[in-house]
Amino acid sequence: MNQAPLESIEAFLYREASYLDQPDLESWIQLFTDDGTYWMPAMQDQPDPLNHISHFYDDRVLMEIRKRNFIHPRAASQEASVRCSHLIANIRQAGTTKDGELIVHSNFHVVMWYREEQRVYAGTYQHHLQTSDSGFLIKHKKVQLINPEAAQKSIIIYL
Amino acid sequence: MNTTFDQAALEQLVQPTRINKQVYINPEIFELEMDRIWGQAWIFIGHESQVRKTGDYFTTNINHKVPVVMVRDKNGKVQVLHNRCAHKGAKIVTSRSGNAPGAFRCPYHGWTFSHDGNLLKIPNESGYENTGFDLNDSCNNLQPVAQDNYKGFIFATLSSQAPDLKTWLGGTTDCFDNLCDRAPEGEVEVAGGVLRYEHDCNWKFILENLNDTMHPMVVHQSVVQSAQAYISSLDTDDIKQKAEAQIILPFGASFENFEESGITGFRYGHHYDGGKTSIHADYSVMPEYHQAMIDRYGAQRTQEIYAFNTHNTLLYPSLTIKCAVQNIRVIRPVAVDKFIVETWSFRLKGAPDEMLQRTLLYSRLINSSASMVGPDDLEVYRRMQEGLASNASQWVEMHRQYGRDQQLKDRVRGGGTSDLDVRTQYQAWRYYMLGEDYA
Repeated sequence: MNQAPLESIEAFLYREASYLDQPDLESWIQLFTDDGTYWMPAMQDQPDPLNHISHFYDDRVLMEIRKRNFIHPRAASQEASVRCSHLIANIRQAGTTKDGELIVHSNFHVVMWYREEQRVYAGTYQHHLQTSDSGFLIKHKKVQLINPEAAQKSIIIYL
Repeated sequence: MNTTFDQAALEQLVQPTRINKQVYINPEIFELEMDRIWGQAWIFIGHESQVRKTGDYFTTNINHKVPVVMVRDKNGKVQVLHNRCAHKGAKIVTSRSGNAPGAFRCPYHGWTFSHDGNLLKIPNESGYENTGFDLNDSCNNLQPVAQDNYKGFIFATLSSQAPDLKTWLGGTTDCFDNLCDRAPEGEVEVAGGVLRYEHDCNWKFILENLNDTMHPMVVHQSVVQSAQAYISSLDTDDIKQKAEAQIILPFGASFENFEESGITGFRYGHHYDGGKTSIHADYSVMPEYHQAMIDRYGAQRTQEIYAFNTHNTLLYPSLTIKCAVQNIRVIRPVAVDKFIVETWSFRLKGAPDEMLQRTLLYSRLINSSASMVGPDDLEVYRRMQEGLASNASQWVEMHRQYGRDQQLKDRVRGGGTSDLDVRTQYQAWRYYMLGEDYA
């Protein structure tokens, strides 16, 4: 019951990655449940997103604002185009949440082109996936960088 | 220091209403600033709550290269020491924070030092007998850096000539006081970790932006309009009561609002905007917190504490405080075109956890490298860094409301949209760089 075919999980994560590669935030947000959240901690083993600082902790409200800001003609930081290439591997299921969502771990490498510079991000994703007849929805996505404590440059797009 | 900028050349760089571009782009000027500004001013190191127990330490650089360690010694005193073994010069500790149980021990030859810096022991000491080496000579200790604190905020200076810390802080002590007064127990502590944000531009741009109130409605127009557009797409406007909306929307405040908030400048380059009102003034007050404040201070004093509402306070050149938000940003220069900004958050002792959570929300929404505010600020700084390479002009200007600044006994007051803040900083720049004293 609480397992899904690995191929279907892979296909879902690859689709998500392709939206972020483009980036197509409109389609990407639709992959989340209405109460879905996106979290990028600022330290290793950070217990929670509220009582410790994070790089990102977005709910739908912030995703909707970001989506609009991303294409706003007067957002100076968005004037330079940003392009990414996500590679996801080592995908493995790690049980379920107490609400029954699948917990899926994976490793990622993202190469980002922004402001005349190519950068590399690496780490692990943790997805909590709600399953339904029509497929998966993301209840929670955690992006654990291998260097969350490092001084970061501007990150204007979700990883 | 060998430099092509002698006194006469330096004097020409900063004039009453304009600044030569070399100040931002020239590596020699940067080195002189590190030596004369960062080498003479009181530099913020950390808060005493970061080193609670004996041996707890926190490391940083006092300027672009000199490593220091802040540590709690066995007598409970916080020391700031040069992070350099007296023997061969190796850094004693490299972690950003930790605990050195018992003593510091150099990982190279095992020299050990007490937490107040005194040399304790050298392995195989007999090799030094009759060599002229004196174990008890203080030159063999970890060298202390002059340090002092105001309400737990620890500053250090590489200069032996600096005025005492309280004199140097001047009227900005009101801001430290207000930050602490906002705690029902009257004290704050560092909590919730740190964000580090790399800026590829000159360190002064962020300082000159803090009280630049002509920029928010331009640079941050996009995020404000994006938030407004989303809110108006909803059936209800309940969301305006959410902390996110209360934090983001005031960045679109009008020129008139900012003008009214005023700027107050002090000696040594410090200043703040606001005081009676600021873009943080309309945050809703959490009932549980409000009750704790009333219980501690009474209704009238509580209102006075809330009413002192500053936006950014600058302690030139290394620290900026948001009392009403309870976070600080710390500037760590690296090179002429690179610095790191650290954002630290504070817990108000005796306040409910939700207050810290709001502080962290603010830091995340506004100061994170992944926010919708910080990257737009950095983008314009970076454009200045690139644009100033041009010889189209040698100057940037700071004329706004020049001649209208109101000199009071220990401070200068001016309009909220004036360039008083920049003029205040460059008066300090001349003080440190040229040795030009205040009138």
